[in-house]
Amino acid sequence: MATKMNRNTLDATSRRDFLKLAATTAAFGPFFLFPDRALASQKKLKIAKWAHFLPEFDRWFVDVLAREWGNQNDTKVSVDVIPVEEIRDRAFAEVKAGKGHDLFMFPWPPAEFYPHVIDHGEVYNTVASGYGAIQQLAFRSTFNAKTKKHFAFADFWMPSPLHFFQDYWAEVGMPLGPVHYVSLRGGGKELRDKLGVPCGLAFSPTLEGNVTLHTILYAFRAWILDGRGDVLFNKNAFAVGALKYIQALYKDSGSPEQLAWGPAGNVRAMLARKTSCTTNAISLLRAAEKQDPEIAKKILLQPPLLGRSGMGVTALPHVTNCSAVWNFAQNQEGAKKFLAYLVDNSKAGYNKSLGCNFPVYPKTVPDLIVRLEKDPLADPSYKYVELKDALHWTPNLGVPGFATPAFMEIFNTSVIPRMVQSVVKGESSPEDAAKAVQAQVQRIADKWKQL
Amino acid sequence: MKKTRSVSVVSFVVTLLMVVFCAPGWAQTTVSPLAPGGVKVFTQINPPPCDFGDVFYQENGIDPTQLVARFGSARQFGLPSLDPTVPNWVADSNCSTDDPTRRNFRILATTGGFRFGDGSPTEFISIIAFVTSQNAFLSSFSKQVGGSTISISKGANPRGIHMQDIVSNFEGYAAIKQVQADGRFALNPCAVDMQAPGVPTTPCFDVSSVNTVFTPNLRQNWNFTTERNAMDGSDHNCINTDPAVCPDGFNDAPFGYFCDDLLGMWIITYHWFIVNPLTEPSTTTCGQAFAALAKANGTSLDGTPIITKGDELDGLEGLGCAFEANAAVNGADGGAVWLICPAIPDPRNGGIAADAFLDGVRLKSGNFQSTALLNNFSCLQNTGKFCNEAAPEN
Repeated sequence: MATKMNRNTLDATSRRDFLKLAATTAAFGPFFLFPDRALASQKKLKIAKWAHFLPEFDRWFVDVLAREWGNQNDTKVSVDVIPVEEIRDRAFAEVKAGKGHDLFMFPWPPAEFYPHVIDHGEVYNTVASGYGAIQQLAFRSTFNAKTKKHFAFADFWMPSPLHFFQDYWAEVGMPLGPVHYVSLRGGGKELRDKLGVPCGLAFSPTLEGNVTLHTILYAFRAWILDGRGDVLFNKNAFAVGALKYIQALYKDSGSPEQLAWGPAGNVRAMLARKTSCTTNAISLLRAAEKQDPEIAKKILLQPPLLGRSGMGVTALPHVTNCSAVWNFAQNQEGAKKFLAYLVDNSKAGYNKSLGCNFPVYPKTVPDLIVRLEKDPLADPSYKYVELKDALHWTPNLGVPGFATPAFMEIFNTSVIPRMVQSVVKGESSPEDAAKAVQAQVQRIADKWKQL
Repeated sequence: MKKTRSVSVVSFVVTLLMVVFCAPGWAQTTVSPLAPGGVKVFTQINPPPCDFGDVFYQENGIDPTQLVARFGSARQFGLPSLDPTVPNWVADSNCSTDDPTRRNFRILATTGGFRFGDGSPTEFISIIAFVTSQNAFLSSFSKQVGGSTISISKGANPRGIHMQDIVSNFEGYAAIKQVQADGRFALNPCAVDMQAPGVPTTPCFDVSSVNTVFTPNLRQNWNFTTERNAMDGSDHNCINTDPAVCPDGFNDAPFGYFCDDLLGMWIITYHWFIVNPLTEPSTTTCGQAFAALAKANGTSLDGTPIITKGDELDGLEGLGCAFEANAAVNGADGGAVWLICPAIPDPRNGGIAADAFLDGVRLKSGNFQSTALLNNFSCLQNTGKFCNEAAPEN
């Protein structure tokens, strides 16, 4: 389990210790955070959260944030840190058992779990008084248009910029990065031919692979479901067009490793300078800054590539941190209160995540742009200002619709990475693969419509 | 989520008003009622377009020595002007007087285009120069202003932003002629990396030089996404760290055409038919789509249907009848990747000078393909207003 959790190599020693602890926890029990005034009748709050890409964030979350809240609310808080790839299965297991944690934190919208959670609209209302109305990304990531209820509460998200090695791309006349998909492929090919370094987009059935490939589909207007939840995929030429592009990109500039990477494989490849670019949360660059500043200096960020057919510059979020309170939770009130507390501490979360966690409520980090312009760890210090417009080029998972149960099942079962793999491995033609997935997506959509 | 092809008529109008009322230093004059051809008297508020000064290019991250076919230095006669005696630009010392960021070459060749959000024939631009590779983006530059230094460092402006990334938000859509000299219809460009997969590549149309996007080489007029403009405050920008000024925090997004893209640059998106509209039976999906478009917008000089707005192009692409791509940013394809092509912020009240001429796609007869563009150009030139605005005061 520990190796699965290793999303990056930041702080290897402490990371190892932390993972060991997390693994032990997962196997034998949670972190228990006893408030100073432990009482026999004391309330309990059990939290499960996905393992953040930067372990220091989780350490702060467990040791400081949760502990302090427990002290303030006379509650015994326990936190289980769970690898991203296990989150969905663990949540389903709790739903099946009808017991488990009170609060479950997902790195994506848990739309599939809507029958088993409370309406989180109350939490949004509570927070609104201090921080304003919910913004679109969070709203469309946590609202079920059918039930008119919020199935989760979102407090932060992570953009997915392009990371590229400036020195590599300068070798092919693109020191400022590839900008659009034609140049990604053309420049990537030149680069692999000249230096033997492939392009490093994740194509595997992982979180990174899903985000990357769903982004490409969306940027090519190959939408999967429309706003009403009806299937759009392969009902126009965009899906096959996108698949043909991915096929060509892989053939011209890719490597077999792209298809086999486990979680954070694209990150490790970049940190080892084995690839020339990838899309990821900035945890990649943060890891590089800590592990090898010289490598970090060579990595530049760029907003996502310019899409086709009027899609503009766009990329789906790497993470949308969504917390759900089970409707069978023992301490629903405490869980709701804790969620509001998360927003109160968004600024600290932004700091502890080294700027990875973009706040859903801008008021909580009012100087975000200033921070991006002058980052103490970055070289050059303005490197992160490329994220200035991130909220404007980041739509929600499920776009052009909401994050629906059907879309999230498609996402979480890696339908798209598997389709892409079948094409680039030559097992299916783009047309056949798109047709098969269209049928698969239709079945998933139909299933959820009947519920 | 950003919608590049979305349109905001309100923001456009407000923007025009902002430009009219906020532009500094522009002399307000009145055209005398001389006017050969019966030109009406109207107030001159907006200056006509001029090339930018070298320093202004540098301040915005562009190396002026890397510009290709720059007005003021090249192309005074010849295309896009069809009359060998009519220049594309003239020397004019008022340029830098009206606006110190400009150099003294005034642009007469006024390229017309459609606003891609809604297809309105209201866009008037000046194709001042072409950029063919990333080499044109400066890696370093500094200038002392008062006690401060303005600098471009590692390609980023003082805000830490690369001009290239700003420009990627603004697409200019070019439609190169697909009917070749020998009458054959090319279904793909010759640049391999731009080609639509699975579509014949012979014959192909040329994209290997900036000349290929000169207006006479286009099958229809340009389309521009000027609608992404936040000058009217619609983005709720508040760029001050003082909580008293910006109580909701610092906000500086998204990029706006008239506020961030100060050189008026565009990234060129080439679009073309991958099914031949001239031979496609009217019974097929593409044939029906072509017929509907031709009925709505007319046909270009090579007989292909005209596309005026984003939805139309998206629709054709979705049906597998059209395709689009950008040229390689390292210049590998040889042609224009970006344009220095500022839209005239407000073409009214002097923005279109009396000696300017419309650079638009023409029919074989020599007439302009779009009478709507011609009419608007003429109204602006002669009355200072768009045709659908109130008549000028006498």
